[in-house]
Amino acid sequence: MQPLLHLENISKRYGAVRVLEGIDITVAGNEFLTILGPSGSGKTTILRIIGGFESIDGGRLMFEGRDLAAVPINRRPFNTVFQDYALFHHMTVAENVGYGLKVRGRPRAEIATRVAEVMETVGLAAFGGRYPAQLSGGQRQRVALARAIICEPRLILLDEPLSALDVELRAQMQRFLKSLQRRLGIAFVFITHDQEEAIALSDRIIVVNGGRIEQEGAPEQLYRRPHTPFTAAFLGENNLIAGTLAAVDGPLCAVDTPAGRLAATVDGPAPPTGSAVLVAVRPEHVRLDAAPMPGEGLTADVADVRFLGANVMIELRHAALPGALLKVRRLADGSAAGLVAGQRVGLSWSAGDAALLRAGPAPAAL
Amino acid sequence: MRHKAPLIDALLGLIAGVGLVALYAPLLATAAISFFQVVRVRGALGFAPFSLDPYAALLANGEILAALATSLVVAAVASIAALGLALMFAFYFVSARRGLGLAMQTMVFLPFLLPPIITGLSLLIAFREIDLGRGLVTIIIAHIVFIVPVVYRTVLVRLQLLGSSLTEASLDLGASRVQTLRYVILPQMRPALISGVLLAFAISFDETLITLFVAGSQTTLPIRLWAMMRVGFVPEINALATLILLFTAVITFAIGMLQRAGERA
Repeated sequence: MQPLLHLENISKRYGAVRVLEGIDITVAGNEFLTILGPSGSGKTTILRIIGGFESIDGGRLMFEGRDLAAVPINRRPFNTVFQDYALFHHMTVAENVGYGLKVRGRPRAEIATRVAEVMETVGLAAFGGRYPAQLSGGQRQRVALARAIICEPRLILLDEPLSALDVELRAQMQRFLKSLQRRLGIAFVFITHDQEEAIALSDRIIVVNGGRIEQEGAPEQLYRRPHTPFTAAFLGENNLIAGTLAAVDGPLCAVDTPAGRLAATVDGPAPPTGSAVLVAVRPEHVRLDAAPMPGEGLTADVADVRFLGANVMIELRHAALPGALLKVRRLADGSAAGLVAGQRVGLSWSAGDAALLRAGPAPAAL
Repeated sequence: MRHKAPLIDALLGLIAGVGLVALYAPLLATAAISFFQVVRVRGALGFAPFSLDPYAALLANGEILAALATSLVVAAVASIAALGLALMFAFYFVSARRGLGLAMQTMVFLPFLLPPIITGLSLLIAFREIDLGRGLVTIIIAHIVFIVPVVYRTVLVRLQLLGSSLTEASLDLGASRVQTLRYVILPQMRPALISGVLLAFAISFDETLITLFVAGSQTTLPIRLWAMMRVGFVPEINALATLILLFTAVITFAIGMLQRAGERA
């Protein structure tokens, strides 16, 4: 099936600085796609290229098989929700929402009806006569959304729209965005640096870093099967232990690390034995035993036990892994109660929970 | 925490008070004398009783009224024309390459920064070279030249404050460039446009030096007053000065209010 939107091998530079390289993204007609990356990763530039605010230096931007290169911003069938909302402060909320129809020369009566409908959709029916300055942050957000959806775009671009909201309102807006996208049945391309937000909202996530795509997939797939050290460290928490690939048996791998031989699972074809790899294990997948098990996992010394509400995070050190702090997450149900700093314990995990990654450049500090 | 020093506070208050009196006394004296004329009674100076005679004389003085009309026409035409030019220059500055914008900006500011005598003389020479006879047209052109920088500055500050995100939002919603200008940019800039025009109007209204070079037989109010003062003092001058004072005060107040409204927007 032809995708709604296809970014084909797009590159972009500012002067001598490459900001995007080999970006290839497809967007299906009704998916919630998130582009996730740290600040400076180029994710906003991708959004601005789709919207038409930035030119491209290489590649093609195709919409239903048509090249958008010559289509100006105001002719593209997309609408944007800007990070700062960019509401028109001299217009009322209703005038803001109706702007897209007004500039298209629609009759007044039709605009009034559509504005009322859309305001109802975003839950602002009573606010049409107010000015943006009289609204709260969350309400302005809804106005920005209403203003974008009234034009019936095929795709909505959202540039970190929730970053200015406080935690509770953000969770509420996340649910609202998700349900709105389902109801409208159109594609949302959502930009964020917040991995939890990306996991909670998206049908599919594209992780970008340093102007390149690191990995893409469904949230659960990315979380369970990261392919790169960056993805492993950026989505949730991960223990990354460097080593050399010693043996491969189907998806099962044995990795020699300074802390001993560890088991891991490789997703896809394995790298040749002898190559530098990383073993990635989630803190919640590590088993903790009072006594080390012979021949399995590794032993480490408890460095700190931190109570985090529902969870307890146990941080451990291993003499052969200097500088690395191993993390184990446990439910705060009393099972970790006896642990004290300095205690030696055994750590182990199922091979299926440990991902084998090709060692790339060191993950960015988070 | 502020230190309490009543003596120093009192001293500062006194200095400020003396300063204000020194600044405003001559203005208030002029206004007072326009209602209570100074007369000489048996060799001693005294005040005549309240009278509006100077104002009546002013209304009857055709020359002053003609000059006033010229000044108002010049100020109105020049400040509206300056607004149009300033807008174009400001839009150019925010969209052009930085070097070109700065070069343009220097050229816009230069006539305002040069000594007026140089600007006036240059304009006079230029008008003679192109055979443009001195009169209303030359006065208006000269005024546009030196008030454009003032309007440009006011307009540019607001335009830069607006940034590009509103323009992008408008285009994103399907508006054309012209629609964006009309529905979004100009309304957002309205306080700056009005205060720029008022400021330009006030400056044009009392400009004397440059106007002296380019005015022919048609004189503006400041030049008329200056000419009158050379040959002797007439009471209607006080009345006129008082009216201008009042008018300027209103304009200044309006500019202040508009600029505050602009900051809040």
